[in-house]
Amino acid sequence: MHLPAHEFRKPDSLAESLAMLQNHPGEVKPVAGGTDVVFNMRGRLFQPDVLLSIRELPELQGVDATPGGGLRLGAGMRLTDLERAPESGAYPMLVQACRAVASRHVRNMATLGGNLCLDTRCWYTNQTAEWRQAKGPCLKNGVQACHAIQSSPVCVALNASDIAPALIALQARVTLASATGRRVLPLAEFYTDDGVRHTVRRPDELLVSVELPAPGDAGVFIKETARKGNDFSYGVVAAAGRWQGGKLSGLRLAVGSLTTRPTMLPGPARIAEAGGLSDAAIAEASAASRESLGALTNLYTPAAYKSVLLRTLVTRALEGLRGTQP
Amino acid sequence: MNARPAKRVVMTLTVNGDTHELLVSPRQTLLDVIRGQLGLTGTKEGCATGTCGVCTINNAQGEAFLSCITPALEWDGQSVTTIEGLEGDGKLAPIQQAFVDYGAVQCGFCTPGVIMSAQGILNTFPRPTEDDINDGMAGVLCRCTGHIKVKEAIREVARKRS
Repeated sequence: MHLPAHEFRKPDSLAESLAMLQNHPGEVKPVAGGTDVVFNMRGRLFQPDVLLSIRELPELQGVDATPGGGLRLGAGMRLTDLERAPESGAYPMLVQACRAVASRHVRNMATLGGNLCLDTRCWYTNQTAEWRQAKGPCLKNGVQACHAIQSSPVCVALNASDIAPALIALQARVTLASATGRRVLPLAEFYTDDGVRHTVRRPDELLVSVELPAPGDAGVFIKETARKGNDFSYGVVAAAGRWQGGKLSGLRLAVGSLTTRPTMLPGPARIAEAGGLSDAAIAEASAASRESLGALTNLYTPAAYKSVLLRTLVTRALEGLRGTQP
Repeated sequence: MNARPAKRVVMTLTVNGDTHELLVSPRQTLLDVIRGQLGLTGTKEGCATGTCGVCTINNAQGEAFLSCITPALEWDGQSVTTIEGLEGDGKLAPIQQAFVDYGAVQCGFCTPGVIMSAQGILNTFPRPTEDDINDGMAGVLCRCTGHIKVKEAIREVARKRS
């Protein structure tokens, strides 16, 4: 089956791309690796007027050291290149998270920015167009209806990024560029609770780079899924913090794939840190994680399963973090 | 389904060393062009959503990627290798011969994608580890049998050349 009709454009520079995003009439959809965008075009979820290829924009490539001792990663870097870049070695959790994404085939195409912007997923919407005709359009198509959670006023589709929780725990910041300027924000604030407009990126903006603070944090990343090697996650957890004199400080805990937004769990992180990652503190933090995350849905897996998975992932991540003590 | 017209444009694509000038619609994927326009039907369409790996071909660096979710125009001016490009002078490539020797083929539908995935590993790693092999083969599915004979064939090629 062919892709939906569109115009394919591939400007040579970031400036031209941003100008096109701002001025071109109709819907302009940026595409890099295509593993999410073209996949969704196949399913007729995306039917943009223009496909704007940013895959080879030189401005979106490469790894640079920042003055603060951290790294700036080009959002257009392929996951395979990011995973194998010598600089990435200082951030083991980044490498683990990249490797957790889909298959090598996909990672040879997919990009860092693409993974962070990955569209949210829902068992109703992410089917063929023919299948969706049964119940018609939903919030994703601008209609006030949800066929997954009947009473839901907002889209509750799940965020599917494996890398987002890891980078949130590593305190990454993202840079969004438009024809009129740039803004930098913490990755944790990049996401929203609305599955339709699930990031704060405006249609005229591009995610151009990701900045990591200086390395040195201990980290644990765990992805739970059906089969390693292609499937989307059931749940992802990332925990990070710094060991100083036998104590872990600045503990961050982030989870993904369980809700619409990759989420920080500051309360449980505080409990675990204050209790010195003792068994009792980990148990308390794990119990508190359920309330901290908020409402769960039955999308893809039952809410009761998600609840148990969340507590299990948090427990394992914190125990794992305790095991990193030098 | 989508009534908007899609203007065809001219693109250049090098496949297995031969450069073609093609009139392509934005609606076509790289797989559509390779099979439909160039008649190279070795590469197969399976799931058409980038999940099964049967449409795998190699990029200019020799890495495996999925032609079914690549817009054809994205590859303008670039080169790829398909299953037809592996043999030379009527002689099978080492990985193809190893598949024969080890019985790594059953019904054969996934085989082009499996071989191009295996070739991707061999192109990237001079001496692939078990982890490299598992990592490189996890994204391509065979519904007849499994990856055991396939992995034996890959190990054999790696062993013979080192």
